[in-house]
Amino acid sequence: MLLIEDVHKSFGAHAVLRGVDLTVPAGRIVGLVGSNGAGKTTLISIATGLITASRGRALVGEGDAADVDVAADRRLASGLIGLAPQDLGIYPMLSVEQNLVTFAELAGLRRKAARAQVERVVEALDLVPQLRQRADTLSGGQARRLHTGMALMHRPAVLFLDEPTVGADVAARHAILAVVREIASQGTAVVYTTHYLTELEDLGAHVAILHEGRIATQGTVADLVHANASPSIGIVTSGERPELPGWIATPLVAESPPAGALRWEASASALTADTAAVLADALSRLGTGTTLEGVDVAPASLESAFLAITGHHLAADATTPEEAKDVVHA
Amino acid sequence: MSFTRSAAIARTTVRLVIKDPSVTIIMIVMPLVFIAFLKPSLEAQLEQQGYHGASGAQLGVPGLAVFFAFLSIQTVCMLFFREHFWGTWQRVRAAGATGLELVVGKAGPLVAVILMQMAVVFLASAWLFDYRVNGSLLALALLLLGIALCVVALGVLVVALFRTLDQAMVLGNMGGMVMAGFGGALAPTSTLPGWAQAFAHVTPTYWGIEGLRSVGLDGASVVDVAPALGVMALFTAMCVAVATLRFRPTDTKVGST
Repeated sequence: MLLIEDVHKSFGAHAVLRGVDLTVPAGRIVGLVGSNGAGKTTLISIATGLITASRGRALVGEGDAADVDVAADRRLASGLIGLAPQDLGIYPMLSVEQNLVTFAELAGLRRKAARAQVERVVEALDLVPQLRQRADTLSGGQARRLHTGMALMHRPAVLFLDEPTVGADVAARHAILAVVREIASQGTAVVYTTHYLTELEDLGAHVAILHEGRIATQGTVADLVHANASPSIGIVTSGERPELPGWIATPLVAESPPAGALRWEASASALTADTAAVLADALSRLGTGTTLEGVDVAPASLESAFLAITGHHLAADATTPEEAKDVVHA
Repeated sequence: MSFTRSAAIARTTVRLVIKDPSVTIIMIVMPLVFIAFLKPSLEAQLEQQGYHGASGAQLGVPGLAVFFAFLSIQTVCMLFFREHFWGTWQRVRAAGATGLELVVGKAGPLVAVILMQMAVVFLASAWLFDYRVNGSLLALALLLLGIALCVVALGVLVVALFRTLDQAMVLGNMGGMVMAGFGGALAPTSTLPGWAQAFAHVTPTYWGIEGLRSVGLDGASVVDVAPALGVMALFTAMCVAVATLRFRPTDTKVGST
């Protein structure tokens, strides 16, 4: 179990974390998400003892206990913690086996136990054929799997995976996600950061959103989506501009859009639970001079919930003032 | 400090050295090449000093072995900095390794590597160039160990002081060469200017080379080389003390500025 209590961290005058509280019980996967620079890696570094908090503490323990203060007892804590950092961390000159054995030995595993664990990890991560291969000859996906596997060698009680699928191909991503599920099912508390929010949906993870130095909200994917996200309905029209109250139009950006093409998106105020009715109403308002070029409906997702919680919206994402002006409110 | 963790780091260091032995091989081969060239002129110098019929290797091997041992500071720097480039430094720390365990785990095998490197130069010189030890073999072994400890301690100090590999390599190599030069590795200290001779006495290289030459040429014993061993131990202790004050396992090391 991992327990983070009121953790603050400042670098000079810049406060990165402003009172983070987070609990990850044994067997749970918590997806820690946030924008770039939100402080995810800083929080993980504190929770793994790599840096110290300005205030607050991180506790880890076996099962439902959280009785080891990471900063106060690094030696004991390190035996309970596994970390696969964001940046690849492998010995390129050593073989897959030697990389894994190194971390087994660091955790104090005896030769026989280390070999058995190497076998388990390479099998789980589909690296058996590469066992004796030098790490610098692995593909990007294989290297990512090895990088993750090195964190699993001592069967940690709390596992931190910081963007483990960056640069991984589809097969590697599936293998990593499968291993994460397996590890959690065996009682490991997993903290998983990613920008690919669909991975958290795949993992059935709880989600904690780190925003402005604090956990803005947390819960299951379903809870967060239900409370914060709306489906998205869009239509593309050309020709005569229709009157669509509550819909937001933006000029269509494409290589050769039809003349006067606009993409319309139902605003939050126009959306109701019955997305089909909202869409039907909009279509009924299209006059004969308007051509319907396309329709897209996206269900409410973790991504839309994240964007709603962190305050991102279309105008804010525009990169230039001109782009921002182009957002036409109907 | 955990012996298990230091031993694990040491085993990994050995694996890394074995995977890339090129620098060690060069540091063994180069002194032998130099001795082959310099042997006749060194024999003439020994004749002038009253060592009639002595092999030039008796004079050249100690200096060149020490010179190339001190150039191995780059191996020390490289092994530390590479851990940062590879992203493994942070991982090993997250596995619970303290700064002391990391330094012991990396420096320990390097002492053995540099010791082995010098030992091979002496053994090969005995076989190829008629190098003979007229004094105590134990004194010779202790002097070589003392030199290896000086090199590694200086290397760790350089790692502790500098943030980039560029800085560490330039300063490490320059420092090693300057010390070896002043210590009499390239020319006997008696041929150096007065100020340089005075400076030589504060370098561990001078004491190491003089000790090795006295064991080879003058039949020196452990007692005879005790002052040299003492100076080298003091130098090592000073490097370790400053490195301890300046070494921060949390520091970020990079390739260049």
